[in-house]
Amino acid sequence: MINTGVNKEFNMSAGIEKNPSKKSFKLSPYLYIGPHLILFTIFFLFPTLYGIYISFTNWDLIGAPEFVGFANYQEILFNQDSTFYDQLRTGLGNTFKFVLFTVPACIIVPLLLAAGLNAKPKGLKFFQALFYMPTLFSVSAVMIIFSMLFSVSFGPINHYLSVDTNWLATQPYSWIALVTVTVWWTIGANMIIYQAALNGISKDLYEAASIDGANSFQRFFRITLPSIRAQILYTVVITTISQFNVYGQPLMLTKGGPTSSTTVLLMYIQENAFGTGISIAGIGAAMAVILGLCIMVVSAIQFIFLRQRD
Amino acid sequence: MRKISLLIFSMLFVVTLVLSGCSSSSSGSQSSSKNEIVFWNPFTGPDGENMKQIVEAYNKTNPEFKVKNVSMVEADMYTKIPTVVNSGKGIPNLTIVHAERIKQFVDNGMLTKFDDLLADYPELKAENYVPAGWNIGEIDGSRYSLPLDVHSFVMYYNKDLLEKYAPNALDDNVITFDEIREAGEKSKKDKIAGIGITWTRPIFLSIYNQLGGDITSDGETPTLETPEAKEALQLLKGLVDDKITNKDGEDPGQLFKSGKAIFYPEGIWMQNSVKEAKNLNWGLTSFPQVSPDKIVNWTSSHQFVMFNDENRSEENTKGIMAFLDFVRENSLPWAKAGQNPAALETLENPEYKELPQAFLIENPEMQQTLKIFDYKYNGFVVEEVDKLVGDAIFGKLDIDKGLKAAQKAVEDKIKTNNKK
Repeated sequence: MINTGVNKEFNMSAGIEKNPSKKSFKLSPYLYIGPHLILFTIFFLFPTLYGIYISFTNWDLIGAPEFVGFANYQEILFNQDSTFYDQLRTGLGNTFKFVLFTVPACIIVPLLLAAGLNAKPKGLKFFQALFYMPTLFSVSAVMIIFSMLFSVSFGPINHYLSVDTNWLATQPYSWIALVTVTVWWTIGANMIIYQAALNGISKDLYEAASIDGANSFQRFFRITLPSIRAQILYTVVITTISQFNVYGQPLMLTKGGPTSSTTVLLMYIQENAFGTGISIAGIGAAMAVILGLCIMVVSAIQFIFLRQRD
Repeated sequence: MRKISLLIFSMLFVVTLVLSGCSSSSSGSQSSSKNEIVFWNPFTGPDGENMKQIVEAYNKTNPEFKVKNVSMVEADMYTKIPTVVNSGKGIPNLTIVHAERIKQFVDNGMLTKFDDLLADYPELKAENYVPAGWNIGEIDGSRYSLPLDVHSFVMYYNKDLLEKYAPNALDDNVITFDEIREAGEKSKKDKIAGIGITWTRPIFLSIYNQLGGDITSDGETPTLETPEAKEALQLLKGLVDDKITNKDGEDPGQLFKSGKAIFYPEGIWMQNSVKEAKNLNWGLTSFPQVSPDKIVNWTSSHQFVMFNDENRSEENTKGIMAFLDFVRENSLPWAKAGQNPAALETLENPEYKELPQAFLIENPEMQQTLKIFDYKYNGFVVEEVDKLVGDAIFGKLDIDKGLKAAQKAVEDKIKTNNKK
C-alpha cells in the first residue's frame, strides 16, 4: 500500500510537471502572431494608450506632460465660453455631416457598379480596372486634380456646365464637391468586396426565382441583398470608420471653408496638437478620444442594428 | 525547454529586427563621433538645390568638419525638433528655423547661445547684416540665432498693363491702394483685374501694420480685435466689392501670368513661377501702401540656431561658426533662389544687384520697411488670421464678429497653453 501510495504521489508530481510543459508547448502560437503582436503593440496599442494619457495632461510636446485630470474634457465638453468647445462642436458636427453624406453613396454606388459588372458586360476587365484605379491614388494627387477640375475660371466642370459656380468656397457646393470626390476616390475597395460576394451567390436561386415569376427588382432585393448581407455589414462599418477619419479632402480642397463649414474634427485636432503655434497636445488628444468614442458607439449601433434584422 | 528557448530566441530576434529597423532611420542624423556638422533645414523646394550648392562649396574648402545637409518637410522638422531635443539623441548640430519660432524655443530653454562664440568671428556682427534679420536673434541681451536671409512679401506688376492703366503710379517708387483702385476701375472694363488676392495672411498683416496696428501690444497680449484691423479688412473688402480684385475662387496667379491682372502681391521667392510665364513683362516693387509715408513689407527670415545638446563638442561648434562665416560671404546662390541674403556682403556683388528683389535691401531706408511679425504666440495668431481674412473680405463672415472670434481664439489658446 505504502509503495503504491508513493508511486501515486510520484505519478501525480510527474503529472504536475508535465502540465506546465504542455502549457508552454501551447505558447508556440505566439511565435506565429509574435511579429504582428509586436508591431501592433508598438504602432497601435502603445500610441493609443499614450494618447489617452496625454488627454488628461497639459503638454506642449516640449516639457514634461503635467497631469490635469478631466480639465481638458471639461473645457471642450462643458465650457461654453471656450474656443475649444466651439471647435469640438463645429468639428464633430461637420464630421458627422460628412459621414452622413458620404457613407450611403459609398455603399450604393459601388454596389450598383458591382451588380452591373456581375452581369458580365463586354469590357468587364477594363471597367473593373477603371473603377478600381482611383483607390490607388494618394489623397493629395486626387485633390490636386479635382481642385483643377473645380476651378472657377479655368476648370472644365464650369466650362461644360457653362456656369461660374465657386465650387470650393461657397455652400452647398463645397459639400457637393467633397462628397463627389470622396465617392469617386473610394469606389474601388467596396466594389471588389461586393463583386466577390455576388460571385458566390448560387445561380440556382435566381433561376428558381425567375421560374416563379420574380422580376429583376424582386430578385435584387429578395436574393442578392440578403445573400451579401454580411459583406454589406462589413463595408458599412469599415466605410463609416474610415469616413469618420476624414482629413485630406477638406484640408486640401476647401481648406475647411467657407467660414469653417467644412472644417472636420481632425483638422482642429491637428491644428491644436501640431499647428503653427505652440502645441496644445492635451486638448488635441482629448478631442481625438471623443472622436474615437463616437466611432466606437456608431459602429456598435450599426452592428446591433444590422444583426437584429436576421 | 529547447522549445521555450527557441521561442524566446526568435522573439528576441524579431524585436531586434524591429528595433534596428526603427533606429537605422535616425542613426543617419547622429554624428557626435564623426567629423561632420549635421545641418537640418526645411528647404525641400527648388531652393533646396541652392542651399546644397552653398554646402557643397563649403565642403570643397576641406574644412575639418564637413557639413551634412539634411532637408526635410517643414512640418516634419518642427514636429521632430521637440522629440530629439527631449530625448537628447540625434540632435542636429545646426538647424534653420523661421524667425517667428525663435522666442518660443528660447522660452522653453532649447537653444544654445552664440554669445561667447562670436568673439572669434568679429565679422559676424550687426553691421554686416540687414537689421530686421539680425535683431530677431537677440533676446534679453543674448544672441540665439544668426540670419540666413530676409524674405519679403512684395508685389509683382505687369509692366505693359501698368503703362496702359496707371502710367504714373510708380513715379515715386510706391504704389498706393488709391492708385490700384484707380487703375482697376479702368481695367475692369477690359475684364482685367486690378489686383489679385493671393496669400491673405501677409496681405492683411502688412496693411494692419501700415495703419499702425500690430499683432501684440506688449509681447504678451494678442491684439487682433482693434479698429486698425477692422479698417484693414474693410479696405480689402472695398476692393473686392468694387470688383477691383479677382473674383472669389479665381486663381490670381493664373490671371497674372496670363496677363489678366495688373498687380500681383506675392513673395519674392515666387519669382521662378512668374518667370515661367512667357511674354509676361513683369517688375517687382514694394507691397501696396495705404500712404507713401510709411512703407511696410511683410518679411520673415530663416535663422541658424543650435539646439541644446549635452554631447555638443567645442570643436564641432567651431566648425559651425566657420561655416556660418562662410555663408555670410557666399550667399549668392541663395539670392539666386529668389531670396534676399541677410548678409550685406552679398550686396556688393554685381551679379546680385541685377536680381529683381535686390531693391529691398539696397539702402538703409528700404531695409527699414522690412517688418517681421515677431511675437511668441505668432503661431496662434496666424492660424486665426488664415481662417478670418479670406472669409471676411469675400463677404462670407461679418468683420466685427470674425475679429472678435479670432481674438478670443488666440486668447484661449494662450490661456490653455499657460495653464500650470
